[in-house]
Amino acid sequence: MALKTKTTSAISRRGFLRGSAAATGALMVLPRGAFAQTEGQLLLWLPGGSDLFCQIHTGLLEGFSAGAGLGPATTVCGLGQDTEFTLALIGSITAGNPPDISMLWDSPVALGSQGAFMALDEMMAGSKISIDTWPAGLLSSCQFKGQTFGLPVTAGVYSMWYNEEMFEAKGISPARADFPKTWADMRALSKEFTVWEGDKLVTAGFMPPRVPETMAIWSALNGGMLYDEANLRYTIDSEQNIEMMNFFLDWLNEEYKGDVNLVDRSGNFLDGYPNSTTGLGPAFREGRLAGMQSGSWLMGDIYGDPVPTFERWNLAAHPTGPSGTASVSGTWPNWFVIPAGSKNPQAAFDYLTYLSTEGVVEWYQQIPDVPTNSQVQAKSPQSLVDRRGAAFADDVTAFLAEQAAVVTPMWNSPVQSFGADQVARALEKIYTKAATPAESLAEAQVASQAELERVLAG
Amino acid sequence: MAAGTQIAVSGASPSPRRRRRAGRGEARAGVLFALPWMIGLATFTIIPLILTFYIAQTKFQIVGPPKYIGLENYEAMWTDAAFWRSAQNTLFFAAVSVPLKLALALGLALLLNRATALSGLYRTVFYLPFLMPAVAGSVVFMLLLTPGAGPVNIILEAFGFNPPDWLRDPDSALWAIIMLSIWPLGVETLVFLGGLQNIPRDVSEAAELDSPEPWHKLWWITLPLITPMILFNLVIGIIYSFQIFAQAIVIGGTTGTPAEATLMYMVVIYRAAFRYFNVGYAAALATVLFFVVLLLALLIFRTARSWVYYEGESR
Repeated sequence: MALKTKTTSAISRRGFLRGSAAATGALMVLPRGAFAQTEGQLLLWLPGGSDLFCQIHTGLLEGFSAGAGLGPATTVCGLGQDTEFTLALIGSITAGNPPDISMLWDSPVALGSQGAFMALDEMMAGSKISIDTWPAGLLSSCQFKGQTFGLPVTAGVYSMWYNEEMFEAKGISPARADFPKTWADMRALSKEFTVWEGDKLVTAGFMPPRVPETMAIWSALNGGMLYDEANLRYTIDSEQNIEMMNFFLDWLNEEYKGDVNLVDRSGNFLDGYPNSTTGLGPAFREGRLAGMQSGSWLMGDIYGDPVPTFERWNLAAHPTGPSGTASVSGTWPNWFVIPAGSKNPQAAFDYLTYLSTEGVVEWYQQIPDVPTNSQVQAKSPQSLVDRRGAAFADDVTAFLAEQAAVVTPMWNSPVQSFGADQVARALEKIYTKAATPAESLAEAQVASQAELERVLAG
Repeated sequence: MAAGTQIAVSGASPSPRRRRRAGRGEARAGVLFALPWMIGLATFTIIPLILTFYIAQTKFQIVGPPKYIGLENYEAMWTDAAFWRSAQNTLFFAAVSVPLKLALALGLALLLNRATALSGLYRTVFYLPFLMPAVAGSVVFMLLLTPGAGPVNIILEAFGFNPPDWLRDPDSALWAIIMLSIWPLGVETLVFLGGLQNIPRDVSEAAELDSPEPWHKLWWITLPLITPMILFNLVIGIIYSFQIFAQAIVIGGTTGTPAEATLMYMVVIYRAAFRYFNVGYAAALATVLFFVVLLLALLIFRTARSWVYYEGESR
């Protein structure tokens, strides 16, 4: 009897193996639904973002699917940013089982030109989101040789941010209309704020730009460009770009002791976030930097940790360079693509139409990524309304919409990452004085053009 | 009675035919047991290796079919400044970090080999850094080495030194990565410790009687008896050092800042494949690395015959 009891209660080795196999199989099958696409049911991949970001997109897709009579939709969030997400997406495309729609945080041109994403031009023609409903400069970030491989549904729009309270303390008008219109004016104003204590930069006005992603904007502000899309040619070492870098270097020498390392040891004067390498806080939020270039995404974060030492900030258009004629803006878009092999391409495109024209209103209200399709009437982000009032929030929303309409073409090279790395390398050499602007830019030009030609050779 | 019969049968000499059949059965069972591992080896090592050699001779932009271009990817390396710079950095890193790590691990193992009440605790403490992920370790090091606010420079400045801007100065950035790679030396130490504890007590005592100088014992007895461990740590250390990646990409990014001082060979392979989508070129770079490491390993094994002593071996 005792033996019987033991036999029935114990798990035999064979039983254990069988159970393990069944459990493993079940674990493998369960999440498969999240990654396999099914006809009539949309599958969306997002690279990352907060829980709120995921909730918004899940809700928008579910709402659209229910309204369109599609089956239950699936949103996969947080598959990893940057390279790991791209690799997962490429893997799914080459395996023939991609999502129907994917968001990208990097330009779709490089992979689109290799056939990874569907060209949307035929579906766009005659649709509610035809090509003429998008700012040309923005849409060019998805285009290669006349084909459109994605949509910049929303974007972080770059503009000049400034601390109104620091301006007022110096008796300078904080009105947007009075913000410097040229680089020379900005440089002159900057001196008003810059204070050194020995080798420590205590406060500063503006910084000579050195973020590689935004150099296309500064180049355009000086009448130049980094990449000539029409002629499939890099123009990194153009006269305008050499002039631009000489101007910035001269500014660094005059106002910042010619040493970017001294600046960086004093705080993070580059953007509005803590520096991930040094852990130093953002000088702008600490009230130590009067103005800077930043993307509109900062609106959603600026009152978070670290809490700014001031309440009032504002946005202004970029000033123009010595050879520039008009102010332009730039963006870092949230691109959406339909991967090659999608089983529901038309439904996916219909969703992108809905998202670009209607869904973005809710998106922007909760997370300030600026809607880019010209038909959208955006409602101001609620968090900004709560903090600064409806009038200011509406004013900023209207301003960003204006800026989105004057975006200079960027993110449009089929060798975007290679070119960006070459520009980053050149900037480092220029600002650390390892080489002159002419030498550094020429080196970047030769390398980028060679890589472009290699890829275009087929 | 039945059991006795069985013993009698098994005790009898089996016929050659039965022996062959039993041998075949054992061989089949052996193959079956080894099969999962062999499938894994073929799927995840041998086939990818062969594919890498093939892809290295193609233009392959990650999506779409590869196009055969012969040796063009290898030719491209000659004119690629990043290839030469990363090879130079990686060789320097290997040449400095491997002997340094071996020497430190040996010194630590000699200390840990002394029996104290806290021996077990010390061994655990020195092994712990190995368990920390390389990325997390790199981030911690970056914060430690921050000029101005980082504790390393604060301490150095307190003692009157003028510390460098470790991660921004091209002259010190690679040294920072070397320091970071040396930090987790628990495995090497344990290997040495295993060797030290295997040295026969009588040999050790005889050496102490022959000469009171500890250096003599270390040089003539200890080191020769742990040469197999030195060989093991050396080969593994060289393979690892040529594959340094996580620390380099966290600190220097894909461009190897500052001034390409931290641009390592594996980073160049990684960015070529997954950032520039030039998989053919990345495969060619990987092939070159494979043969360089293979040649170095063969060279070490070849010379090992003259300096590695195995117990029971006669010379």
